[in-house]
Amino acid sequence: MIRLEHVTKRYGATLAVDDVSFEVARGEVVGFLGPNGAGKSTVLRMLSTWLTPDAGTITVAGHDARTEPLAVRRALGYLPEHNALYETMRVDRFLAFVGKMHGLGGKRLEERALWVVAACQLEGVLAKKIQHCSKGYRQRVGVAAALIHDPAVVLLDEPTHGLDPLQVALFLEFVRKLAKDHAVLFSTHILSEAAAVADRLLVIQQGKLILDATVAAVRGEAQAGGRTLEDEILARVRGSGASGKGA
Amino acid sequence: MSDAPTSTKRERLELGPAARRVGLVAARELGAAIDTKIATLAAIAYALLANALFMNEFFLAGVVDMEPFFAAQPLLLAFFLPALSMRLWAEEKKSRTVELLFTLPVRPLEAVLGKGLAALGLYGLFLACTLPIPLMLEVLGSPDRGAIVSGYLGLALFGALLLALGGLASALVRDQIVAFVTSALVGVALVVSGEERVASVLDGLAPALALGTFLRENVSALVPYQEFVRGVVRLSGLLYFGLFAGLALWGTALVLERDRA
Repeated sequence: MIRLEHVTKRYGATLAVDDVSFEVARGEVVGFLGPNGAGKSTVLRMLSTWLTPDAGTITVAGHDARTEPLAVRRALGYLPEHNALYETMRVDRFLAFVGKMHGLGGKRLEERALWVVAACQLEGVLAKKIQHCSKGYRQRVGVAAALIHDPAVVLLDEPTHGLDPLQVALFLEFVRKLAKDHAVLFSTHILSEAAAVADRLLVIQQGKLILDATVAAVRGEAQAGGRTLEDEILARVRGSGASGKGA
Repeated sequence: MSDAPTSTKRERLELGPAARRVGLVAARELGAAIDTKIATLAAIAYALLANALFMNEFFLAGVVDMEPFFAAQPLLLAFFLPALSMRLWAEEKKSRTVELLFTLPVRPLEAVLGKGLAALGLYGLFLACTLPIPLMLEVLGSPDRGAIVSGYLGLALFGALLLALGGLASALVRDQIVAFVTSALVGVALVVSGEERVASVLDGLAPALALGTFLRENVSALVPYQEFVRGVVRLSGLLYFGLFAGLALWGTALVLERDRA
């Protein structure tokens, strides 16, 4: 569902993403790890079509992000890192706006709105303006907006930011359920979150993809070497020659 | 691993869905503008000022004619309309909702047209607040209805141009105040460059260039607007406003595209 081939992105003289390639299939949850500034958000922003890669190709659900950005956007649900929302809109009207922009209407919009409201537990804030919602609810509104059109691909950039521990646990469970018929790529810098729900881990360091392996494989290697999963990934990050603080 | 074959064709513009998205953006923008109350306050202030200026003139001259009203509007609008256009894009950029908007399936030009329509709708509210003037003139005498209608058409076109230029200024900056000041300056320049006195002064600075005359005849919005006020609806006037407003809207879409790259 997601395919990146030799994708590169520069911000002026800074190489933010360096020749990154990977794929994510339907039914997979892929944890995208890396320290702050490693290039996670830039990759997700290119996938969302918000940014254009300088080189390489991005394909989402068979659509080229450069030539068919609208088709790509219809195929994916995206929760950006900062989760900026239209503050003065009521939650229900905001969700309806996003759904209609995706071409939903009538009964289908009603069905999808009911589903996301239940899934994200927004019943209590539907008539509230977004600016009056707590940070946790705002995050859930962002997730609901990303899912309202039932996209095949879900991109979540630091989705647990601002959630309390119980909400994090519930959210991760929710992501796991989503995987059944979606391709999910979610970025985080918290390894335990990724390991808890992901089938596969991608680790990016200074713009370069330094690990693409299943959680089971990494865990197996860690156990063989008598290390924890976290130590194993840290060892790989250090072994890559990068100077970041680890995943 | 892709579930569908990779497509390399470019997306075709489908008018129905595009128009629907324009309408959705317009409706959302209209709601947000009303919610911020700036538009409402600006409309009230404009209505009070526009009506008061005319009444003063009307009671002094005692002529059943709207020409003094139309003559006062360009400068007034140059200061009031930026209050409507300043938030169009600067606010989206500052609050980062521009990323939300452009990761929804909408083209930049569709979003620009939607926001432009919303601003025009609010401007319609401005103009509606001045309708008591022609109604009063109808009661008191026999004003030239044709001139009133063409005057309002001129006002609508003049306002549409200022809003399109204000939208462009708003897309170029992040700060609403900067957008307001820039739009107001551009609006004032478009008006005063049409004044004969200003054109003469500019011509006097560099007679060989005749810059003042050039600006007055080719750039200023005042000259084509004044034709509408005189009751003359010419194709050249319609083209002037349509072309410049269209260029400003297109430029705004280009600026937004550039920002994303």
